Amino acid sequence: MKGDGLAARANEAISRLKQDSGHVLGSRKAQQVRKMLVGQHVNDGWIAKIVILLLLAVIGFLYLQPVFYMISTMLKTVSDLIDPVVQWIPRTVNWQNLSDAWRGLRYPEAFANTLTIALVCSVAQVCSCAVTGYALARLKFPGRNLAFFLIIVTFLIPPQITMIPLYAIYGKLGWLNTPLVFFIPAIFAQGLRGALFIIIFRQFFLTQPKALEEAAKIDGASSFRLFFRIMLPLARSACLVVFLFSFIWYWNMYYEPSMFLGKDFLPLSLRLNLMQEELMGNTAINFNAGFGKDPISEGPKMAAAFLIIMPPLIVYMITQRWFTEGIERTGLVE
Amino acid sequence: MNTDSGNVVKSGGISMHSAETSPLSGGSRMDDKQRRRRYFLYRWKDYGVGYLFMLPWMIGFAVLVAFPVGWSLFNSFNKVRITPEGFKFEWVGIDNYRRAFVEDNIYSIQLITYFQEMLLMIPLILIFSFFVSLLLNQKFPGRTLVRAVFFLPVIFATGQVLTELFVQGAGKLPFIEQYNLEGLVRENVGPRIAEPMLAVLSKAVIILWYSGVQILIFIAGFQTIPRTIYEAVRIDGASPWESFWKITLPAMVPFIGLNAVFTIVDLFTFPFNPVMDHVRANMFKPATGYGYASALAWIYFAIIIALLAIVLWITYRAAKGRREMR
Repeated sequence: MKGDGLAARANEAISRLKQDSGHVLGSRKAQQVRKMLVGQHVNDGWIAKIVILLLLAVIGFLYLQPVFYMISTMLKTVSDLIDPVVQWIPRTVNWQNLSDAWRGLRYPEAFANTLTIALVCSVAQVCSCAVTGYALARLKFPGRNLAFFLIIVTFLIPPQITMIPLYAIYGKLGWLNTPLVFFIPAIFAQGLRGALFIIIFRQFFLTQPKALEEAAKIDGASSFRLFFRIMLPLARSACLVVFLFSFIWYWNMYYEPSMFLGKDFLPLSLRLNLMQEELMGNTAINFNAGFGKDPISEGPKMAAAFLIIMPPLIVYMITQRWFTEGIERTGLVE
Repeated sequence: MNTDSGNVVKSGGISMHSAETSPLSGGSRMDDKQRRRRYFLYRWKDYGVGYLFMLPWMIGFAVLVAFPVGWSLFNSFNKVRITPEGFKFEWVGIDNYRRAFVEDNIYSIQLITYFQEMLLMIPLILIFSFFVSLLLNQKFPGRTLVRAVFFLPVIFATGQVLTELFVQGAGKLPFIEQYNLEGLVRENVGPRIAEPMLAVLSKAVIILWYSGVQILIFIAGFQTIPRTIYEAVRIDGASPWESFWKITLPAMVPFIGLNAVFTIVDLFTFPFNPVMDHVRANMFKPATGYGYASALAWIYFAIIIALLAIVLWITYRAAKGRREMR
């Protein structure tokens, strides 16, 4: 009874308030406009949306500024680079830098090498990490928690600690200067950030319903059948995320190749260092080695950097949706 | 994290026990023994599948992680020389470690400088990614496109390309020069803090590029907070400002911890990490060699582990208070 009275009074007050505000704003129409601009709650009106978009645009520009710098520098001639008046847009578009970089990187060959490493390793990582992650999430055996703990520890060990012994092992096996130094670890679930991928798969398989497994078991499916026929197809999105991430990370990897690979088999990242020597022989371009702003080598170097990141960029453009949605859905975050 | 396997073993033990003593199970002792054996066989068949699935990882771990790590630890207590016949070890005890602190005047300075930089970089990355993900979590047209932009740097955060960009000064935020922030920093704080601050500022954008994955993790974290809670507090009259501090932020504490850990691990392989360069340079110096370089790497590792432990502890404490309230 008392509650009813209260509710009625509150309703009355609200309607009076509404009326009042209606008077202040003049008419219903103004009220509608106001609602559209400010929204019912501050953060869903148009004003808020525009502010958010503006903020993001500014931050996004700052964020991508080095990329714009790269592209603009790559297309400038030396005189444009020296000229302080020319900031972003070059006076004449100069494609010479790109063709120099193409030759300097020995692009087709280095591209093929990098692609081989990235493709084979990512496929291997998907297979080995899925198997390990499945075992950790779904199969029972003594020492499982220990294994999981060790995997997390592997994630934390800096590569520099294991580098020397690995170098010695690979040297003994005669794998140095061959892509095997990347294939083998990937096959045995120890590839680049393999621990992270195992955790992703484990997290994913943990979220699958137990009933599924039991049903398959009752129907007489063996563990292997269960894994390959039911679990792996379900994990398609996790597989895709792991594949894409390891592809990109293998593509960009620099430290390991610089340790294990010599002259015969060079990926793009190492070719960038050798570009100067490569070009010095057959063109008039005179590079002043490495440091500081140097208008002559700047153009070709930026062009080379662009050529290196272009392939993963294209991959990203095509798969962008899965990248961003994938991580959210794989349950990396629990 | 998961105690499943422990439970299963225990329950198996209990059922075994009951089978042994129950009068209903009947039969002679021979029968019992057989049953027990069959049970073990069954269990081991079950375990065997698990070990079979783990086999690739176990081989890889033993050969490519455990053995190298052990060897590297052994190296760090030795003076290692490379002779035509292979490695020559000479036990020196903790001499390598002592030397790193007492004699090597570059290493400790680099370590401290990079550590200072890291302490600036981690909050910078965390705050930036939190802010951006907060904005990205709102509804507005073109959201997927903007998300794609902020995740883009993950694609080309390659060591070589980043170094090139940094050398050419493209990593600076443009307003740092415009407002003469460098001079401002130098005037207002002592040189001890100013140097790492300027070092961070000079590659600010590139550091922000390391927040791609963090942004995604935060966005995913926001999805875990149920919409209904916001509706409830809104009805109770909370402003968006209040609901952010009272609901969003506390719920995000575990994700902030997760991101802090991820950031620290990511900064291991940061291309501008002078510590790693120093370690690498020492590997090939005849005067110092592998043993000394290993000791340097282990010191660095120990410090990072300590940092991680602190972060995890803080997160745990912060999250624990919340859990108890629920």
